[in-house]
Amino acid sequence: MPKSYKDNEFDVIVIGGGITGAGTARDCAMRGLKVLLIERHDIATGASGRNHGLLHSGARYAVTDRESASECIEENMILRRIASHCVDETDGFFITLPEDDLEYQAKFVESCTAAGIRAEIIDPEEARRLEPSVNPDLIGAVRVPDGSVDPFRLCAANMLDAKLHGAKVLVHTEVTEIIKEGDTVLGVRTVDHVSGGAQEWYAPVTVNAGGIWGHGIAEMAGVQVGMFPAKGALLIFAHRVNNIVINRCRKPANADILVPGDTVCIIGTTSTRVPYEECDNMKVTPEEVDLLLTEGAKLAPSLATTRILRAYAGVRPLVSADNDPTGRNISRGIVCLDHEERDGLKGFVTITGGKLMTYRLMAEKAADVVCRKLGLERACQTAVTPLPGSELGGFRETVKKLWTMPTTYQKATTSRAGASARNIEKGVGLVCECEEVSSGEVDYAIRNLDVHSLTDLRRRTRVGMGTCQGELCACRAAGMLAAAHGCAERARDDMREFMNERWKGNRPIAWGDTLRECEFTNWIYNHVLGL
Amino acid sequence: MKFQVIIIGGGLAGLTAGLSLQKKGVSCAIISSGENALHFSSGSFSGDCPEEVVPLFAEAGVVLKGNPAKDSWRFTPSGSMQKVRLAFEDVTLYEEDKIKASKVLIANPEGFIDFPTAFIADGLSQQGVSCKVKSFSLPCLKTLRESPSEMRSVGIAKKLDCRINEVAGAIHKLLDGEDLVVLPQVFGLTSPEPVRALRDAVPAEISFIGTMPPSVPGIRVQMQLKKAFEKAGGTFLMGDTAVSAEISDGTVRFIRTRNLDSHILTADNYILASGTFFSKGLSSTMQKIYEPLFGLDVDCPTERTQWYSEDVFAPQPYMAAGVVTDADLHPLKDGQPVTNLFAAGSILAGEKNAGMALTSTFKVVKKIAL
Amino acid sequence: MTLQEITGSAHNFEECMKCTVCTAYCPVVPVNPRYPGPKQAGPDGERLRLKDPEFFDEALKYCLNCKRCEVVCPSGVNVADIIQEARIRYSKSKPKLRDRILASTDFMGSMVRPIAPMVNGVLSLGLTKSIMDGVLAVDKHRTFPKYSFESFEGWFKRNAEASQKQYKEKVAYFHGCYVGYNFPQLGKDFVKVMNALGIGVELLDKEKCCGVAMISNGMSEAARKNALNNSAAIAKVAASGMRVLATSSTCTFTMRDEYPELLKVDNSAWRNSLLLATRFIYEAVSSGRKKLVFRDSYKARIAYHTPCHLEKLGWGIFSTGLIKMIPGVELIHLDSNCCGIAGTYGFKKENYEASQAIGKALFDDIASAAADFVACDCETCKWQIEMSTGNKVLHPVSILAEALDLDLTAEANK
Repeated sequence: MPKSYKDNEFDVIVIGGGITGAGTARDCAMRGLKVLLIERHDIATGASGRNHGLLHSGARYAVTDRESASECIEENMILRRIASHCVDETDGFFITLPEDDLEYQAKFVESCTAAGIRAEIIDPEEARRLEPSVNPDLIGAVRVPDGSVDPFRLCAANMLDAKLHGAKVLVHTEVTEIIKEGDTVLGVRTVDHVSGGAQEWYAPVTVNAGGIWGHGIAEMAGVQVGMFPAKGALLIFAHRVNNIVINRCRKPANADILVPGDTVCIIGTTSTRVPYEECDNMKVTPEEVDLLLTEGAKLAPSLATTRILRAYAGVRPLVSADNDPTGRNISRGIVCLDHEERDGLKGFVTITGGKLMTYRLMAEKAADVVCRKLGLERACQTAVTPLPGSELGGFRETVKKLWTMPTTYQKATTSRAGASARNIEKGVGLVCECEEVSSGEVDYAIRNLDVHSLTDLRRRTRVGMGTCQGELCACRAAGMLAAAHGCAERARDDMREFMNERWKGNRPIAWGDTLRECEFTNWIYNHVLGL
Repeated sequence: MKFQVIIIGGGLAGLTAGLSLQKKGVSCAIISSGENALHFSSGSFSGDCPEEVVPLFAEAGVVLKGNPAKDSWRFTPSGSMQKVRLAFEDVTLYEEDKIKASKVLIANPEGFIDFPTAFIADGLSQQGVSCKVKSFSLPCLKTLRESPSEMRSVGIAKKLDCRINEVAGAIHKLLDGEDLVVLPQVFGLTSPEPVRALRDAVPAEISFIGTMPPSVPGIRVQMQLKKAFEKAGGTFLMGDTAVSAEISDGTVRFIRTRNLDSHILTADNYILASGTFFSKGLSSTMQKIYEPLFGLDVDCPTERTQWYSEDVFAPQPYMAAGVVTDADLHPLKDGQPVTNLFAAGSILAGEKNAGMALTSTFKVVKKIAL
Repeated sequence: MTLQEITGSAHNFEECMKCTVCTAYCPVVPVNPRYPGPKQAGPDGERLRLKDPEFFDEALKYCLNCKRCEVVCPSGVNVADIIQEARIRYSKSKPKLRDRILASTDFMGSMVRPIAPMVNGVLSLGLTKSIMDGVLAVDKHRTFPKYSFESFEGWFKRNAEASQKQYKEKVAYFHGCYVGYNFPQLGKDFVKVMNALGIGVELLDKEKCCGVAMISNGMSEAARKNALNNSAAIAKVAASGMRVLATSSTCTFTMRDEYPELLKVDNSAWRNSLLLATRFIYEAVSSGRKKLVFRDSYKARIAYHTPCHLEKLGWGIFSTGLIKMIPGVELIHLDSNCCGIAGTYGFKKENYEASQAIGKALFDDIASAAADFVACDCETCKWQIEMSTGNKVLHPVSILAEALDLDLTAEANK
């Protein structure tokens, strides 16, 4: 007899709408569990959306961390299949510059090969031909199967699929308390940031997938997870300078990866330990900008003369692998803690560590633990089932829907929505001109992808992510949100917030053309619109 | 080529200076790197405005409403009321910060997303004025909607300006006892006639409210002023850029432009009305803010981190940057005034608005031609 | 190097502020909804094409390359160059036979000139026009420019070359295809005026079509061949210190600006030696180096039309400045609008309606000017205006030839 549930009862509650939480929710839902996913802001607002968007081949870790390297290459190949519309198969170079030790290259290739990563030494001349932006002074290059992955799209697709498999998703809802009885977690108490309403939710297992904020969630449950927040700053350039990922062939260091992602490219990162209390408000300093530019120009000299769009910083959720509170033994690998085994707390699991692109494996591990705790034996299907947008079947319908549209519209829509483009109506005109986002695409996102604000919309459609940073599209999209939500006041406040959020990323790099654009945007919003 | 005055910048300050001087018989050339900020005008001027601007613009066919010395209010596209002094005839001005109407119709061409009707309606209802948002369509707008990027203010104006009767008919059908109709500024691209004709044809007051750029009334006013300037005998070098200047003994000797290369331009007096960052009157690098043409002294914070306020809607220090002048508006270079150069408009350091731009312009005009 | 020392990006398209002024002034946008507009086709599209060349839209062919977007751009973005470069780099469609014929102006010229009367007759026959309309898609409303029986070069060699030796000061003349094959009279006027100024005229060594029609018809390789040929010929003359003058604003613009920008032909050695004839004469006269003596009896009300490429060059002031020097002239400056022909664009059947719609504002302006004739530095504008308005169009140099007292001028410049 099927189990009967009350409205607020689930098999599993997943806390955190980053990629790990979304992936875990999808995995559990696909195994037939009744899932609740809770996110205090929006999808991918933490580290999931604040990184390079690099689809690691694993080569970066081959020399120092064989296990991570093997995980990466396996997941890399899986994501190409299940998330093809989120992945750009660019390949990557590991270049050796005159100041680097060329001997490292041999060790690097050997380690890659041992980890199962294709690593092919190519002639510097050939490297310059394949990637004209690369530093022409390079003395060596190795080609590996790196790529780029769009974290927002990936996160949204996982969440959408979780919903399609029956999961309930609550965004802008924050866990305020872990409900416990003795040594057992029973559920969570939440507050809805949009309506202000408080609620209780119950499940035999709760998964803490809060990334760095998982530290605080664990504390709420009365257990300790040793997290060591590490800030990483990155710069976004206004267009693609390179079409192949460029890394330095040496021990991992600051600002040594340049990733082409969608219409832009991203250089990063720095690495600074920061206090946990500062994690919610990361600011990029002028020193970090200088460092990123100086080091970045060594990978691709033209970065020095390319317009910069934004600067931003994320916080890596580094965890001490054992229970050592000093953090001396920090791992970048996946950490899955069953707190019943570790701390004697029943019904509580923490999944953390790892990387954006190993999220699926993390989710699989977490879902395995959940099933074990529920006494169920269900096989994981996420490695073989494509995400919505990457299904092979939708191709013909998509073509039929789009073939009369202008070329750029076709390309832009399908490059973002993949096969889901068949569900997008034509609409009138473009909302975001830089990224070619049509009003139909905005409509689709508002209706299907849990959009509450302009920032939510941006993550799902790239509205406001282009060169003008919201100058033209914010007002248009705000108008559409006002109509959809029936509240002009909220949409106007939202527009102010959105412009400030854009400004936060512009400020550290606002000079030259970027400053011109900021001034122009200011005229429009302050003077013409009279905000 | 030689002129009495060369003006660098063809925006509000440059054109006003040129028109005013040329009318006084002073031969002027205006060098304009493309179109300018009038194209993004809100349709109104704020800040203390000089009286002379009203008759000068009127001669060029530009009607300015309001009182140059006293604040009025305009209703903005975000639904708020904003203090202004003067406005183009499209805009409706109010004596207090309240709309004068009992029932309002907001009418928008179907599919036009550059006009935030929801905000306007919200602003009205906050003032306790009842309103309805309705859209209208004409067959001629269909082709615009087919193009993904052409349902924009100027594109619509090009279609509707020659079909004012049809528009009036469409609005008539939507009217239901309203005494005010709010329309986007998508009328009157090349002349104010369509605006006037529509007002005559619709039995209610019409207020034309700004859209996302470009601004249709702004483009029209720029065109009218430029035409009047040329008709008065002025030379307008459109799409050319002053690239270098020769200064010796505290005097500008000549200017070179991109298009005229070896052909230098000389004048008795020069007016720098090149605007701020957008129009490249000021430039910035990661290290500094500077004036690129003459290398004039600029007033701004030296540290980049001091250029910005955290709140994007708060006054931004970088926006107050500009050249420093003596009391006669001669800009300083290395602390010394350049004697035959004047600065006017937003290139001047300090708070910026149209009133300040016009006031400085007329001051310079008086210095040059008494 | 200090990082990010330059103000703008080294990538011109990144200076675009998305202000959309270019689209507001684009003559094609209001008449062709399939054209994405200069902002989308240019800087916005470029960014997408850098992501993936598949973003290239063949609708970019609707761009007239009139450069008005560049003239009005507040940010100095070379919008039309970006569009034309994208066509060169990414377009997969091959030029049609019709486009090849229209583009090969000098080839056509040299082929048909010996049989010009017959060709002109055939080209003006209604039946032939209908066939061209149907088979070649050249619009039947078009009056084909007439081919002259004697080329300018032939006339020059027979009638003028010998007498040029008497002048100490010399200029070289780039006559262009139009003067070469269709309208030698302008070239004759040019020689007349230059001689009156005491200046002899030489022709370039094997002048070829400047290539503008090939560029706009997607034949950049052929255009580049011509550019290299002309570049070598001009460089040779310029090296000797001689100026090279042209009467066509489009040829001048193409050779000065499009050679390096689009065709990647370095012209830095001679770019400043190539001038439009009107600029050269204006500078010579205004500096007092040369004198003009006009006939008292010359009276005319002239409406001046600035061709798009002259607008882009920014040299219209020299042509109007020169006309204003004629005492008996009343000059009306027409509003700057595209006439719609844009070289071969308006000749194509698919563009005919758009072409005429674009030109309408100018035609109306001309009608209300009630001038004796229109003055203009561009040959294709001349065809379009003459066909569409019935007004006669004269080149400023031809106006000078008519208005000058050539003997007295020659005397004054001895």
